[in-house]
This record gives sequence, C-alpha cells and structure tokens, in this order.
Amino acid sequence: MKKAIITTLLFGMVVTQAFAADVIKIAITGPFTGGSAPMGASMRDGAKLAISEINAAGGISIGGKMMKFDVTERDDEAKNERGALIAQELASMSDLSGIIGSVNTGVVLAGDKHFQEKGITKIITPAAGSASMTQWSKAGVKDNSIFRFAAHDGIQAAMVVEEAINRKLLKVALFYDSTNYGVSGRDDMLDQIKKQGDKLQVVATEKFNIGDKDMTAQLLRAKNSGAQAILIWGIGPELAAIANGMAKIAIKAPLIGGWPLSMSNFLDNAGKNGNGTMMPQTFIEEPITPKAKAFIQGYHKAYKVTRIPSPVSAAQGYDAVYIFAAAVKQAQSTDTHKIKEALEDLKEPVKGVIATWQKPYSKWDPANYDTHEAFRRDQVVMGMVKDGHVVFANDADRQRLTKSATEVKGKKAK
Amino acid sequence: MHESVVAQMVVSGALMGLVYALIAYGFQLTYSTSKSINFGQGELVMVSAFICLSILNFGIPYWLMVPLGLLCGSLLGLFVERAGVRLALEQKSEGWILLTIIIGLLFFSASENIWGRDDRPFPTPISSEAIQLFGISVTPVEISIAAGVFLIMGMIELFKRKTLLGKAFEAVSADRDAAELMGISATRTVMLSYSLSGMVAALAGILVAPITTVGPTMASALVLKAFSVAVVAGLDSGFGVVLIGLFLGALESLTSYYVGSGWREAPGLILLILALAVRPTGVFGKAQIRKV
Repeated sequence: MKKAIITTLLFGMVVTQAFAADVIKIAITGPFTGGSAPMGASMRDGAKLAISEINAAGGISIGGKMMKFDVTERDDEAKNERGALIAQELASMSDLSGIIGSVNTGVVLAGDKHFQEKGITKIITPAAGSASMTQWSKAGVKDNSIFRFAAHDGIQAAMVVEEAINRKLLKVALFYDSTNYGVSGRDDMLDQIKKQGDKLQVVATEKFNIGDKDMTAQLLRAKNSGAQAILIWGIGPELAAIANGMAKIAIKAPLIGGWPLSMSNFLDNAGKNGNGTMMPQTFIEEPITPKAKAFIQGYHKAYKVTRIPSPVSAAQGYDAVYIFAAAVKQAQSTDTHKIKEALEDLKEPVKGVIATWQKPYSKWDPANYDTHEAFRRDQVVMGMVKDGHVVFANDADRQRLTKSATEVKGKKAK
Repeated sequence: MHESVVAQMVVSGALMGLVYALIAYGFQLTYSTSKSINFGQGELVMVSAFICLSILNFGIPYWLMVPLGLLCGSLLGLFVERAGVRLALEQKSEGWILLTIIIGLLFFSASENIWGRDDRPFPTPISSEAIQLFGISVTPVEISIAAGVFLIMGMIELFKRKTLLGKAFEAVSADRDAAELMGISATRTVMLSYSLSGMVAALAGILVAPITTVGPTMASALVLKAFSVAVVAGLDSGFGVVLIGLFLGALESLTSYYVGSGWREAPGLILLILALAVRPTGVFGKAQIRKV
C-alpha cells in the first residue's frame, strides 16, 4: 500500500516535471477591471496577441524542442495591496520564466521587491512612474531582474515641459492626482522645468483625488492665477472631469500631460472637450507601417473592437512579449535567471510594432537606471486628441516613423 | 472678480451638496418611520444607475426611462425592507444594520458581475455645455440636479402633508404605537418609506450619473458625505438635510479654493465632530425623550 502511494507520488512528480518542461510559463499582471482597465486589458490583449502568434508558429525552439508559452493572468485591480499579494504568489512559483505587466506605479512599488529578491525576471509595461526603476538605483542593488518597457516619466515630463516652452507659454499650472504616479509625476515636471532653464513659471499646483468629480475649485485657482497651460499627471476618469470642468469655466489653455490622457475612458468621457489635449505616446493607432497595420488589424479582429482602448499599452505589451521571447531563444532555457542575462545582452534585433529593438537593455548599473530602460526620447512622439482618437501631433514624427520602418524593412526582409 | 469667484465656488459646491442632501434624504425618510436606515443606500444609487443605463441601451427614450428607473428604485427599496429590515424590526433587534450592509455588498458584487467594473458614460439629452447665469458658469446638467432634487423632495413633502396616506406616514413618524392604535398599519408605512427612499436613490443615480459616470464605486464617495450631512443635520427634518447639504458642499469647494485642494474633505469632518460634540441630535434634530 505504502509502496503504491510512493510510486504514485513519484510518478506524479515525474509527470508534472515533464509537463513543466514543455512550456514557457509566464505571468501577465495588471488591472483588468476598474479605472485603469483600458491600459491593463489592452496590455494583456496585446501581449496575448503576440503569444498566440508565437504559439501558432510552433513556439520557440529550445535545445531542439519546440516550446510554447503558457500564460497565467492576475488582475491586481490597480490596488497596491492586491499587487503585493499577487507578487508573493508568483514569486513562490518555482517554474515561472518571467512576468510581464503592471500599470500602476504604486502596485510596482508594493510588489516588485518579491521578484527582485528571488531574481525573477519581470518586464514592467506600461507603468511609467519614475520610482519603479529609480527605487533600485537608490537602493544600490548590484543585480536587478526588473526591466522596463515603457516611456518612463522622466522622458514624458521632459516632453510635456518642452511642448509648453515651444509654444512660448510662460505661466503653467501643475495638476496631479494623489496616487504614487501623480505625485512622482509632479516632481518630474518640477525637475524638468528647472533642467530646461526655468522658463516656465508655476503659478498653481493643484491636487485631486481618485473619484473626484467636481474640479471647479482647482481649475478656478489655475484660471485666476493666469495659467496659460495646464500640465497634468493623473490616471483614470478624473482626467475627463478636468477637461469637462475646463470647458465649463471657459479655460482655453491647452491641457498637456502624461500618456494616460490617451485612454479610452478619457476620450469617451471628455468627448469634444478632450480635443487638442496632448500627451507623449509610444504608439499611435494609425497604420503607417505594414507591421503596424497588421498589428492593428489583428487586434481589432481578435478582440472585436474598432478602436484599441489604449493603443500604447497594447503595442508595448506586444513588443515586450517579442523581446522576452528573443531572450528565451538566446538563453536556450526557460530558467528565469538565464533569461535575465540574455535580456541584458540581446544579440539579435527584435522586430516590434513600435520599433526594431537593437540591444534594448544592457548590464544593470545602479548608477544608471537607463541600463534597464528600453525607451529613449526618439522612440516617443507627441499625440493629440482629435474627435475621440489620438493622432500624431506633429506630422514630422509621422513621416520620420514611416521612413525608418521602410528602411528597416529593406534591410531585413522576412 | 473676487465676488464672482466666491459665487462660482459656492454655486458649484452647493450643487454637489444637493446630491449629498438627496442621498441623506433617503436616510431621513426611512429613519422617521422605522428608526432604521439603509446602510446600502449608496449601492442602491449605483444599481439604479446601472439599471437605467441598461434601459437606455434597450433603446427606450430618456424621458420614459426616468419613471421606469424610479419604479425599479422603489422596488429595490421594498426588497431591502422585506429582506433586511422587517424581521429585525419585528424582533426589536438592531440586526438591520448588518443586514442592510450585507444587501449593499450583494448589490455591489452582483453589479460587478452583471455590468463589469468599468466606469461608463451615461448619455443624457440634457446638455453639459456651460451657460452663464449672473456671471457664474453652470451646466444644464447641474441645473437639472438642483431641479430634480427640489422637485422630488417637494412632492414627497407635499404628499406627506396633503394626502391621507401621507398623514399616516407622519403619524407613524410621530408615534408609532399611538398610530397603530388608531388603526394605521406601521408595517405598511415602513414599506412605503423604504420604497420612497429607493425611489429617491434611483433619482440620485439618474441625476448624478452624467457627472460621475456609471461604475460600481460611483456612489461610495457621495454616500460618505451624505452620512455626514445626515448626522450634522439630524434625521428629523428633510429641509434641514437640504440646508446642511448645500452648506457642506459650498464649504468644501471654498476650502479647496482658499486653503488648498488637499484640504477639501477637512471641513466636513470637523463639522461632523463638532456636531457630535455639541448637538448629538443634529442641528435640526429634536431631542427625544425616552420614557422608561
């Protein structure tokens, strides 16, 4: 009897082992419900589109064996405590190859230490708050298994401030929400204003809470202080409340801010009051290249939509999976530590929908967090809201991206 | 310039305050007849708003949706009374506190599963284009909130004063036992008060949804403020609730203008503590003499 049990147990272990060895287990985490859901769900769907393409092609060959991706999804509901629990759970899985996801900076700060402790590879996308990566430089960790695939707030804040300066505006009001993301975005903007030569005078600094609907007080303060632009860092439908409030008390100043201004719940709830709003974007839902066209059509078809809820998140989720897959292929292993090493030194360029990624990451250097950041200034463009869609704010960007894609296509045909 | 800022802040804040007052009025209606309140009132607001959105999505025009929505609201109110309050009251227990909270949670989870957790826009034929009234910007949607609040409260107060059924309502509020001896069914009256309270919640949902958008958490912030209003005003007077609601709303927006947006919630809380310390029965409450 005893023997039988032991045999069964052993057999069971062998079987699970065999199963585990056949797939590359990755987890996708993010808010799939609630105010941040357009970003979380688009990121997930973009990532899953890439995964289904890879799996449909047979998977990735590791040691002569074709392996497919196996996805675990976790909804963190944009709540820090939920994110921490999920991170603990995932960190305790022994056969997990990596994690892709996180939209909210607070969630990243609450959870990522569990991955870092065990050296589990994670690619953060699309959370942009600076603290997600600077926390590791500040802690001075020697080795880091956390990578980011998003235009971090440092870049975005620089672009927002630059836009205001280029328009020859002098007085600005800073608006931010009370989340980790909002507060660190405000600091980034103040930082950038100083760095770019103090050309902007901050005449009002206004805070709002998640769930606030009436922004009249903050907006009136901005208006009466003579602000010529409202620079905003926030997440979720409150941004729409601001755009609507601006229309109500007739503020004509432009609204410029972080990339969540491109989310569908901003576009829908602000309606025509959103027109002209500008924000940095890594991807614009326009089929300017064959790759982008295929991606947009694929997404629309797979998820039965006519507009991607958050195109930036979807494209980043998609490209992040291809970069991760390239690392798995180069490492020839599903071991998360080996994948990390491969990510730090990717030999082959990865063709993504946003760009062709040449060595997106390098060996972690605590003095320079850019080593684990994939995006640089020239991969980010200004987007502008036009009748419920985000379009290129500057036609020059559009032409530049179209051109660079055709050049790459000529070099490396598939 | 300065006066116009104050006026603008007072008007904008007071309009939000009317929403707090309308929700608090729902507490007041049931408290007067049964000395119980529905702690799930916020969820009732939210579920009604979702139901109204679904009705609109069926292609039913807005103005037909309003009475249908109000009807659904009063049915939901009756459900709360039957499932959560009646038994507890019959046994003279305080079980309704927990039961109404639980029913609220049930509504919350049910709507998350039926309608999802996203915030959705609520279409309305009333324009949200701002218009100028005496130098103050208001949107017709905001005016519709004020009109709706005063209309429904006026109608319910008239009903209580002018009709036989309404007088029974007042009688039960004044003295339940004496009213029962006069042949008025207290149970029926409590049912009536809960269905009115549900109707008020549904109206609150319809009125605020264009501003708050419709989502499971749409009323959670509002209902907390409504509690403050109800406690500060006292639960005996419908008009007291309106006055305190207006006052609190205006105070909030003035504070966030003059002191800073981070301090918005502070005056309401200070007011609440003061009211509890100085006038526990509320500013407009009547001290009750309990005969033992």
